[in-house]
Amino acid sequence: MSDTAAAARRTPRDELAEETAHGQLYLTRLRRAQLELSLLGLLAFGGLVGSLPLLFVLVPSLEHIHVFGIPLPAVLVAVPLFPMFVAIGAIYHRRADALDESFRDLIRDE
Amino acid sequence: MIIPIVAVAAVTLATVGIGAWGVRFARTTSDLYVASRAMSPWWNAAAVSGEYLSAASFLGIAGLMMQIGVPALWQAVGFAAGYLALLLFVAAPLRRFGSYTLPDFAEGRLASRQLRNLAVAAVLGIDTFYLIPQLKGAGIAFSEVFGAPYAVGIVVVAIVVTLYVALGGMRGVTYVQAFQFWVKTVAIAVPAIALLIYLGGIPNRATVFGHELPRAPASGLVVSLARSQTVRFPEATTFVTSQGVGHARAGESVTLPPGRVALPPGAAVPLPPGTPSQSGREWARPVRSEGEGAPLFIYSLLLATFLGTMGLPHILIRFYTNPDGPAARGTTVRVLALLAMFYLFPPVYGTLGRALAPGLLMTGQTDSVVLQLPSLAWPGVGGQVLGALVAAGAFAAFMSTSSGLLISIAGTVSYDVWGRGARGVGLTVRRRRFRIVAAVGMAVPAVVALAVRSVDISILVGWAFALAASTFCPLFVLGIWWPRLTARGAALGMVAGGAVAIGAITAGVIVGAQALTGPLDSILTQPAIVSVPLAFAAMIVGSLATAAPADIGAQMLALHAPEGLGLEVLDQARA
Repeated sequence: MSDTAAAARRTPRDELAEETAHGQLYLTRLRRAQLELSLLGLLAFGGLVGSLPLLFVLVPSLEHIHVFGIPLPAVLVAVPLFPMFVAIGAIYHRRADALDESFRDLIRDE
Repeated sequence: MIIPIVAVAAVTLATVGIGAWGVRFARTTSDLYVASRAMSPWWNAAAVSGEYLSAASFLGIAGLMMQIGVPALWQAVGFAAGYLALLLFVAAPLRRFGSYTLPDFAEGRLASRQLRNLAVAAVLGIDTFYLIPQLKGAGIAFSEVFGAPYAVGIVVVAIVVTLYVALGGMRGVTYVQAFQFWVKTVAIAVPAIALLIYLGGIPNRATVFGHELPRAPASGLVVSLARSQTVRFPEATTFVTSQGVGHARAGESVTLPPGRVALPPGAAVPLPPGTPSQSGREWARPVRSEGEGAPLFIYSLLLATFLGTMGLPHILIRFYTNPDGPAARGTTVRVLALLAMFYLFPPVYGTLGRALAPGLLMTGQTDSVVLQLPSLAWPGVGGQVLGALVAAGAFAAFMSTSSGLLISIAGTVSYDVWGRGARGVGLTVRRRRFRIVAAVGMAVPAVVALAVRSVDISILVGWAFALAASTFCPLFVLGIWWPRLTARGAALGMVAGGAVAIGAITAGVIVGAQALTGPLDSILTQPAIVSVPLAFAAMIVGSLATAAPADIGAQMLALHAPEGLGLEVLDQARA
């Protein structure tokens, strides 16, 4: 039996369990995909929260806008960020689970 | 007086009762430490949030907001955002790795006994740092609500917490924590909403958002000073003390004697050092040119809280009670939702406090605004009942966070230090050790808390976050996502980050940087913006300078492979 024939009969699951070069490649791909997704989430958070103090410094006239009688900058810090964190978290959760699921399909089906 | 005592006693009894009920389920070592990993995501999320919402969240944010203004709310933003970082980088892989404690993770991932010891030291340091302000808050609250001496609150909370931790282990405490999350949320939300309805909105708006300084109300202002205090008068006024009538020029600092101090109606309230004199419009600005509103301080604080949450040992151990990786993600999203709800309310107290409680500004006791506002804003039975509710919530806050920290200390010491080389030791012996360590582990910070009455709660808590962000955060992020990390590099980064954070904080205390007048003061008071990047850099450089780790395929598989692949190796490791 040649090496290639033996390799052809081995499933991705075996490759993973035996930590072959192939198996590690599958896993590395998953890890990178997950990390990219996480960094995307970080970017969304960083853009949202990181830009806010700068916005207040650069556009001081925002404080003349009132929402329910409260200056807009105070409202922006106190209220909308929290639900946005939940939204980023929920979207991330769904997509991270989906990446896991497609990895499972890859390992099981072949 | 009698209503708050009943409310606090009810919360305390319910806590001990649920803890005692939970102990019936603690049958094995796994039960004792991580509750058999059988909790549903909502139970877990409520427990995580219950454990997390401490004196700093329940009392500190509102108090700091009243004192320095809207910039205090960045702290709440960071406290919540920390769970986003935890979700994105840590939650699922850490759960999948299947360790009991953080030192287990350090050793399991990098195969180094030395690193494990370093992790143990970091856990004990962060937990103790964090426990001291909780006990301090309890002492202050007891003296504010009941008029008891400072030490009484510390001793009472220390004893109650030690008892139910020692008796219940983690399983009991998961229910207790979930219960206490709801106690805290109801206790902060209901009075806030009731007061806003009773007052018909925000009163005294000129002081809160307009051009006015905080002023004595139309009936005049009388405060009672426990000891003599120096205050600065923003405007010229007369005042009456036990030594007779005094005059102050605008901008003059006066040392007032202990006892009653009275200000005439409309007089601008004099302020202690550290409380800026500002109009409502200035107060409502979230970013300033200096102080705790300086952009550098805000970014450093956001970094510490965003990255420090994942390094809090008492929070992370809760993630091991999730059954699998996706459940750990689900729990974290639910935590974000629960915290989003809670953090809507502290600003209500900070704002109403500025409008209605100028006496607290004058005495510097803004940390008690949540406790005192209901009876100040709503004279009569209504205010008393609401005041009892917030008092009960405050005690839930001290007790839940303290118990989580104590479990972390007791678990770490009895498992890592004392239990060393004795994994075969029976459950009875382990449980006894756990109880003994719990008692000692609470005694040490209690004694320290008795001694550090003058150190500010929110600053102490900020230091615990800075230390966590400078040690465990890089260890997790790089350990999980970067296979090239080596044990030497990790140790170098943890030591460098921890040393710089502690060094900066110590130097800041010595030079009195908490006055926050320049950029250097911001860094010495909240060093995360320097110490965290340094820790990451040291870990990366240290790892690249040492030989690449051999054969970590199994660790990477355990961290990242999804569940349900049918790999026996994995299922055993994660059971």
